[in-house]
Amino acid sequence: MITSYQSTSKWLAVVPVVAMLTFVVAPALNIFIISLNFDSFAILTAQTTRSVVWFTMWQAIISTIVVVFFAIPIAAVTANFDFFGRRALISLISVPFILPTVVVGVAFLEFLPTSIHQSASAIIIAHIYFNFGLVVRIISSRWQQINPDLDDVARTLGASRTRLFLTVTLPLLKNSLRSAGLLVFLMCFTSYGVVRILGGPARSTIETEIYFRAMQLGDVSGALILSILQLVVVGVLILLTTQFGTTKSAELSQMVFSRIRKPQTSGQIIFITSVASISASVVIMPLVSVVRRSILIGQKINFSIWHSIFTDEEIFKSLMTSLEYAVLTIIVSTTIGLFGACAVIYGSARYRFLNLLTALPVVVSAVTLGLGLIITFDVNPIDWRGAWLMMPIAHCLVAIPIVTRIISPTIRDLPNGLRDASQTLGATTWQMWRTIDLRIIKPALVSAAAIACAVSLGEFGASSFLVRRNNETLPLMISRLLGRPGEIIQAQAYAIATLLIVACVVIIGVVDHLGTEKH
Amino acid sequence: MLDCRNLVVTYESTPVLQNLSIYIDAGEIVALIGPSGSGKTTLLRCIAGLEVVDSGTIHLNGEEITTRSANLRRIGLVFQDNQLFPHLNVARNISYSLKIQGMKQKLIDEKVTEALELVGLTHLSQREVFKLSGGEAKRIAVARALVAQPKVLLLDEPLSGLDKELHARLLDDLGNLLRLRGTTAVHVTHDQHEANAIADRVLDIRNLMSY
Repeated sequence: MITSYQSTSKWLAVVPVVAMLTFVVAPALNIFIISLNFDSFAILTAQTTRSVVWFTMWQAIISTIVVVFFAIPIAAVTANFDFFGRRALISLISVPFILPTVVVGVAFLEFLPTSIHQSASAIIIAHIYFNFGLVVRIISSRWQQINPDLDDVARTLGASRTRLFLTVTLPLLKNSLRSAGLLVFLMCFTSYGVVRILGGPARSTIETEIYFRAMQLGDVSGALILSILQLVVVGVLILLTTQFGTTKSAELSQMVFSRIRKPQTSGQIIFITSVASISASVVIMPLVSVVRRSILIGQKINFSIWHSIFTDEEIFKSLMTSLEYAVLTIIVSTTIGLFGACAVIYGSARYRFLNLLTALPVVVSAVTLGLGLIITFDVNPIDWRGAWLMMPIAHCLVAIPIVTRIISPTIRDLPNGLRDASQTLGATTWQMWRTIDLRIIKPALVSAAAIACAVSLGEFGASSFLVRRNNETLPLMISRLLGRPGEIIQAQAYAIATLLIVACVVIIGVVDHLGTEKH
Repeated sequence: MLDCRNLVVTYESTPVLQNLSIYIDAGEIVALIGPSGSGKTTLLRCIAGLEVVDSGTIHLNGEEITTRSANLRRIGLVFQDNQLFPHLNVARNISYSLKIQGMKQKLIDEKVTEALELVGLTHLSQREVFKLSGGEAKRIAVARALVAQPKVLLLDEPLSGLDKELHARLLDDLGNLLRLRGTTAVHVTHDQHEANAIADRVLDIRNLMSY
């Protein structure tokens, strides 16, 4: 609790509390209430539901295991070695995670052979691609908190490098491996965009089944029951993730050590070169397929598609809509995230509930959020289903948990002594906040804004429920164009996907650049 | 016993060790003094195999070990901040090297008990290491290094940062322990009094280098 700002906490908490209660809690409760129709629960025992749940589970489990397995060697390289292109590699492997899921789906639609389209393998491969960068960053950052002297001690006690890894490093990474694994499982369990594009009609997860039932079969109550099922599973997973995240920190220091060294042996050079080149290729090749497909019509290179992107009225409108929503999302989600983070950190313990409240959109999932919004705000005077504002609201809700978690640590770690010094030099509370807190957290705010932009540009799940004729965003347009025949139309979809890839690459560059500057 | 000749180590074009030579007899305790940044820790790390020398040779009992991997040298190292494995309790920290040697569990337990008796901490066998006091952690770190029966034990400012009373007590205990076991040791310190108290011979690292 920071006494200088204590009195502001109650005011700061108002906006995030009202926003979350109105647009997350109320719709979620509404889903529960409407679903209290015992007939609807029969869907849980239906064969189709059991198949969908089973598929959702096993593809998530396999994806998680493979992601973690592949991430460990890459994390070993980025956490321990200094080599040419190290920072670029770290940024590059992060790109897939912030790519819109529909772009990942589209990339693998083009990259993978037709024989495995609409198969579980295609979905799992795309999930691995989407998530491995996130796991690498989590494990790598934790690895850098292991004092390198521990490695040296183990070596002088006779441990080979393999034994060192198995008996010292791996046990110390245990908690972060579990957290990362649970996070990936969650992402794969609630996967929507990838499954919709790559799964075809034969493969459904709970998330796509919710959409299918609500929007195509008209079985809203069935969709709601599945939403509750998903809520329960995800809620339990979130609790588990939180549990492992707060396990005692006595095992590892919170410091980051300088483990980074130049490779000393030829074996290390070969290891680094192999891992770096394979992971860079894995990231780049699907993206190159997207770009290639956007300029290839009938096996001939044709740049006219790119011209049409900016001259076609429909596509240009989607582009402008996406940008508008992204700007709104940046402003609103960053503001709410900042207010929420400040209320928790500046306030007393009673404001800690805001941490859970701002995390709710992750528990509820994007598709359930979209469904909840349209069934809640459908009665006069709040019949907002067709309002243009609903989609950016959904985008903000999806972005807020991430924004809050980017901003919070920076505010929390700000030394109180700086504020004390400012006050003794005559600054008012507002002046102190503006000249000390805001200045220091600005890089985190910019990173959060950049990520919020990426979230908005790529949001597909909730948007699928909220799209109307006049507010189609780029991911929705990609999905629609892919569903239509014609090489030119398909190429347009890939050109739009390329635009989104470029945007995400720029965003991750900005975020990593700010992160580097801070250190 | 330990013979280092003309060791050269540079770091980013800055020479750290310049043609350094040192010879240590079996069972001898040598104190190495010098100001901060003079290369004491670098020398220990080179002897232990944790740093690669640019040129020069290291021989142990007549056998060249210059390029031998650290885990195969049987040279122990006690760090200034102990570096006990945080995920293992006291007994498992001490038995770490014995497991690597493939020793049977019964014998491991005996050796661990013996090591704890040597440092007077048998009651702490199952204690989590983050619950140890500074002095206890120091003794456990030494016990862990000694139980591996190293041919040479390197101590990198093991007593720095301790309060005066604990420092004096541990200095006494450490010296007795090393002599009792006849351990060949290199003890790095910037404290001349500490060096004089523990060592058979005191060397200034600057005098070991030829420029």
